[in-house]
Amino acid sequence: VKDDKSAIRYVSPALALLSVVTIYPILYLIYLSLRRNLLIFHISRFSGLDNFRFLLQDDRFRNALENTLYFTAVSVSLEILLGLSVALLLNRRFRFIHLMTALVLVPWAVPTVVSARMWEWMYNADFGILNYLLGLKIDWLGSPAWALNAAVLMDVWKTTPFVAILLLAGLRTIPPELYQAARIDGANAWSIFWKITLPLLKPAVLVALLFRTLDAFRVFDAVYVLTGGGPANTTETVSIYAYKVLFRTLQFGYGSALSIVVFLCMAGISLLYVKVLSGGVEK
Amino acid sequence: MKERIFPGTGILLLLALFLILACTHGDKPAGKPGLITIVFKHGKIAGDPRHFEDILRRFEAEHPGITVRDEILPSSTDEQHQFYVVNLESESADFDVFGVDVIWVPEFARAGWLRDLTGLVGGDEPRMFFDGPMQAVTMEGFVYAIPWYIDAGLLFFRKDLLEKYGFTPPKTWYELVLIAKAITAREPGIYGYVWQGKQYEGLVCNVLEFLWSNGGEVFKDNSLVIDSAENRKALSFMHDLIARYAVTPPLVLSSVEEPTRHIFGNGRALFMRNWPYAWNAFQQRESPVRDKVGISVLPAFPGHDPASALGGWQLGVNRYSRHPEAAESLVRYLTSAHVQKRLALAVGYNPTRKVLYRDADLLRSQPLLGDLYQVFLKARPRPVTPYYMMLTDVLQPEFSAAISGIKTPEEALESARKQIVHILGAAQ
Repeated sequence: VKDDKSAIRYVSPALALLSVVTIYPILYLIYLSLRRNLLIFHISRFSGLDNFRFLLQDDRFRNALENTLYFTAVSVSLEILLGLSVALLLNRRFRFIHLMTALVLVPWAVPTVVSARMWEWMYNADFGILNYLLGLKIDWLGSPAWALNAAVLMDVWKTTPFVAILLLAGLRTIPPELYQAARIDGANAWSIFWKITLPLLKPAVLVALLFRTLDAFRVFDAVYVLTGGGPANTTETVSIYAYKVLFRTLQFGYGSALSIVVFLCMAGISLLYVKVLSGGVEK
Repeated sequence: MKERIFPGTGILLLLALFLILACTHGDKPAGKPGLITIVFKHGKIAGDPRHFEDILRRFEAEHPGITVRDEILPSSTDEQHQFYVVNLESESADFDVFGVDVIWVPEFARAGWLRDLTGLVGGDEPRMFFDGPMQAVTMEGFVYAIPWYIDAGLLFFRKDLLEKYGFTPPKTWYELVLIAKAITAREPGIYGYVWQGKQYEGLVCNVLEFLWSNGGEVFKDNSLVIDSAENRKALSFMHDLIARYAVTPPLVLSSVEEPTRHIFGNGRALFMRNWPYAWNAFQQRESPVRDKVGISVLPAFPGHDPASALGGWQLGVNRYSRHPEAAESLVRYLTSAHVQKRLALAVGYNPTRKVLYRDADLLRSQPLLGDLYQVFLKARPRPVTPYYMMLTDVLQPEFSAAISGIKTPEEALESARKQIVHILGAAQ
């Protein structure tokens, strides 16, 4: 870049737009989170850190955070593992490769609410296809032991294709000469994978991890449609809790405090990944 | 290279800004001067949209100078609530008349978003409507919305099976258990009693029906009595239906209305709790239970009156409306006996005016109305309070925990009581 000043001139419209649609709402959110704001009671006053103090001892928040962390950890690990396997399979040359790639993408293309509705019927304990195929009588969405795992399974089904396509793009950038050289040196498939494929795929894996972790951490629509947070809040995630507080019960102050915690968690996750990611690329 | 912004860019940006501003101020009602347009927001009306279109055009013909534009919101009640909250909070005048769910009236009224409509139901008028909806729209003597159509929970039963084994429809919950046990033992592949137990608003309706039918309450004379002995007994009975009597399959714990209707409609259940809408599906030609279904008021615990949870929609007028008189006349028209009758005939919405349940035309086309009348007389609103949404947010997970056995009824009700006390405290 020759001229820094002109660069600023070019990005300034974008920055202005971003600050209007991102920075301002975030500042307003912080303002709201410091207030006791209950519309229906005509209460709106400054309350300092009261909302955050209540949040620390709110059992329901702790429960929601635990659910969210469990959901994120399990679903993202499964998606990366499965996505990598699918990507490795799709990276071979065979007939109908394009057709296969398109087919793999189908779950990702279905809107989340639609697929959640679909899974809700498949999970039905009485006439759902899942119990029919497995020959079981499990109440997938009604039993506390299964409900959150059922939501994880749906999320894995839905977003593995996304991870697979991201990783496939990463695989395609690995020069085939490396594989040829390794094979000439007598390396077996296993060591080729560990010594060549995986290290070179690291940036793509990290990008996929970043996207998926952020998405999973703020999961809302899939779980909301499947269970609404039930039974007994065993599947209530932080986003669902924040939604209920904000839009169903209109506690804008406390709801904003919840949203800020979600926001801070996500910012932390992004920073961590970006740090790892930039370190990985420089190498 | 010398950089300079292409002069056209600035002009384009200005033009874009102008267009954006033009759009935000551009939706003034199109129409002749002197003509009032009122906007009616509501959820989707069932059936053929032409019927309702017709009803609105008729209003315009009767009220020269007023045109009505109806705008349909998504069918999810939560989304509608969210829409109204966001818009009314910012004092939007973009709509004049709107559909209000039975549980929102006190909340919206307390927030000052609903115009006082007491004048529309003067004199004897309130007694023309069912009690339940009238209670739900009245706050401290003022009426904030007019009941438009009514819904209530009721018992569907397989009248062929009851006859075959010589039973009559149950009056008490224990009779229901006995009948269900006797018949399911001899009819393979059939569930006893299905209802809605997923953690959602419908669960609160289902549980309140059990609590009320044991003389229980959430509030009694303004004090919180949710952890009463009556409520504990009723709630543990619900858990027993699944865990002890095995009359209700565990699948109800994740069921809303449609899955239970599906099971009952395929002839796989003896009893079902549902809303009146389910009836029409059972009367279709291809339905396996056609002509085999009866309905009645829900059972009660011995020595107590049955009760069913009230549903249905009311019409309210936006406090910020620019044409409140015109809006009121639309509400008066839509809730009048003749329009309610037309809606009942055309799309099957159950009238809120009692007189229509003796209307010969209506009874001929919908014979069920005679039975429904008894159910609607027993219909009770869920607790009429401005903080209902906070209340239900506490009740849903606690009720869910109790019926699925995660908590004992005592624990769940005690925990609910504590949280409600916290909400009430915050309201001070």
